[in-house]
Amino acid sequence: MARRYDSSTTTFSPEGRLHQVEYAIEAINNAGTCVGILAKDGIVMASERRITSGLLAPAKTSEKTYTLCPHASCNVAGLTADANILIEQARLRAGRYHYQYQEPIPVEQLVEYVCNYKQFYTQRGGLRPFGVAFLFAGYDEHHGFQLYQSDPSGNYSGWKATVIGANNQAGKSILKSDYKKKQEGEMDEDKEPEIPDVQEALKLAVKVLNKTMDGTGSAAAEKMELFTMKLDESKKCVHRILTKEEAQEVIDSVEQEAAAAGDS
Amino acid sequence: MDSVFGVCYNGGVILAADQSNARSILVYQENLDKIAELTSHSAMGVAGPNCDLVNFTEYVAKNIRLYELSNDGTKLSVHAQANFARGELAYALRRGPYQVNILLGGYDTNEADKSKEGASLYHLDYMGTLHKVPFGAQGYASYFTLSIMDREYKENLNEAEAITIVEHCIAEIQTRFMLKQPNYIIKAVDKDGVRVIKYGSDPSDN
Amino acid sequence: MDFAFGPEPCMAIGHDILDIGSRKAQAKRQRGALGDAMSPAPLELGMPGQFDLPNVEDPARYCRTNFASVCGTGDEHQAVKFAKGTTTLAFKFNDGIIISVDSRSTMGNYISSGTVQKIIKINPFLLGTMAGGAADCSFWERNLGMECRLYELRNGRRITVAAASKLLANVMSSYRGYGLSMGTMVTGWDETGPQLYYVDDDGTRLKGRYFSVGSGSMYAYGVLDTGYKPDLTVDEAIELGTRAIYHATHRDAASGGINNLYHMTKDGWKFIHAVDVNDLHYKYAEEKKNAMAT
Repeated sequence: MARRYDSSTTTFSPEGRLHQVEYAIEAINNAGTCVGILAKDGIVMASERRITSGLLAPAKTSEKTYTLCPHASCNVAGLTADANILIEQARLRAGRYHYQYQEPIPVEQLVEYVCNYKQFYTQRGGLRPFGVAFLFAGYDEHHGFQLYQSDPSGNYSGWKATVIGANNQAGKSILKSDYKKKQEGEMDEDKEPEIPDVQEALKLAVKVLNKTMDGTGSAAAEKMELFTMKLDESKKCVHRILTKEEAQEVIDSVEQEAAAAGDS
Repeated sequence: MDSVFGVCYNGGVILAADQSNARSILVYQENLDKIAELTSHSAMGVAGPNCDLVNFTEYVAKNIRLYELSNDGTKLSVHAQANFARGELAYALRRGPYQVNILLGGYDTNEADKSKEGASLYHLDYMGTLHKVPFGAQGYASYFTLSIMDREYKENLNEAEAITIVEHCIAEIQTRFMLKQPNYIIKAVDKDGVRVIKYGSDPSDN
Repeated sequence: MDFAFGPEPCMAIGHDILDIGSRKAQAKRQRGALGDAMSPAPLELGMPGQFDLPNVEDPARYCRTNFASVCGTGDEHQAVKFAKGTTTLAFKFNDGIIISVDSRSTMGNYISSGTVQKIIKINPFLLGTMAGGAADCSFWERNLGMECRLYELRNGRRITVAAASKLLANVMSSYRGYGLSMGTMVTGWDETGPQLYYVDDDGTRLKGRYFSVGSGSMYAYGVLDTGYKPDLTVDEAIELGTRAIYHATHRDAASGGINNLYHMTKDGWKFIHAVDVNDLHYKYAEEKKNAMAT
């Protein structure tokens, strides 16, 4: 009986569920983890690189992080092939908006557009939902830095810090306890704890990835991709994927802090 | 035959337009309002046939409103509004153009970034040319008034000074222009929105 | 002569309307010409369902030479010159709206009718006036009547004059450049009171206190501008509307015939009179003579 409703994305099951959409969301939960953290002075996104074979030629560009327009980037969890279609749509939308208004598209509008596109595939007959979840990082003059996540159903939501992909529940619980952690020396004050800056956010992201990724505690730099978005002096967005050396530095400092914490 | 002009000042922009509508040798009306309000904080002075004037301003105003409604109240900046209008004029150009020449003035409020706050004035023609200007004129008015504005305009005018310049322009047109344009409507756009400074004949009086 | 029951079975009633200008019609004309080279093509005039054409060799050329080029108004390219000469006016005053028109229809320098109804009743609360092409005016104002009725059925209340006039203006602007000829005033009484709009073929739509449209409008404006004030009594207003049309018909060769006058009130329009402007001429002449005598 269940199979009858499995095959069609556009038909509700007697329980009122859309199985194909749910399976697509489930597929994301096994994909490489992505962490996004909103920082004081920017946004950090960190993602897990899954190395399939040593023989595979290394990617010339990132397979996890894509620039959509000068003020927005995204991280992908799920089917890269599906993601490419959506990323193309997002870039087109951003370009068209700029052509029409000669101004950057507000980040939420861009996210909403991609999500409407995804939603369409959950309702039209004969189509399969996109097996992709995104983290969007962006900046606009309306709401400053913004972090959004989206799923295959076409839902999206804004976050201060979030995780998508494998073990996202575990990741989220670390973020919940460590984001806005009171800094040393601030302990006594009543004031609202500050949100991290980009450097602290990077460390927090690595800490989360260490937890969610398989294997023993510390991961190698080539298994992680660390991305930051900041503003330069002229208020232009700077997107950057950390080099292997820089990433290793962050990973090492996280390890040292963990060791120090373990000692005390 | 329409006269439209505008002057930016410190904290706002003044728009002025004549109030006449004529067809061949007959004057049909002398209390029109050719300065259409696009949003609470922007307005468009239009020179052109009544049909195109109404159709184009309504089209632009309703699309800007639609943008605000469908994007959770996000407002388009005056710059974006001007570029949108320009795009629509350019699109229409090869398929029966809107015969409108426009001065679009508005005031941007920006809590997050005070450097982006302030008034601006854009000059558009029916072919889709767009320029940001400190002052400008459309139609026959430009022959009579641009020299006055060149002479009298300076940066950081206050509202009263800007209105004085506009009134000098109106006086010159009424002295030298062959056609009768007895009534002018003057509007200001500033941080409090669009408001009518004065008119020759009440547009709502009919 | 073969009619509906002749040797050509396709000649059903009214069918030849579709044949005008076609090869078949041409062939038929040539056949007629073979029979008698001097006589014009056989035309079946006055038959039910048939489309009457001038009984000449080339009706199109006949219309062109007689109805268009003689006018010298730059419309020579038009195959048929529209009826254009007119004087219509409407004005608002404190007790409603007066709508007053003449009734002459001209085709070039030919008076094609002296008894045209130039006030079109769109519904009991809406009137439209006709100036310009008679066909364009009556067609689009009847179309407007239909749209207004549909609005009533859909929304359970009468359409406002603002909306009705906008519907017409939208039609005009969508057909701009297609050669429509129309200058109309849409008047009525809705929940916002008496309303008067001017709508014309290039899509202009104006709201105003008073308008006059047509070739005699300048003459009518002369009287109207001099005598108009908002606090006219109904009788004074009727007199002003009548006089303005009379003086226009007197000076404008393309206006004349009957003066039709309506009064728009909160209960809808009321027909006031239909007076021959010839009678008005003698009435006013008499009045003037008497006034001078005293």
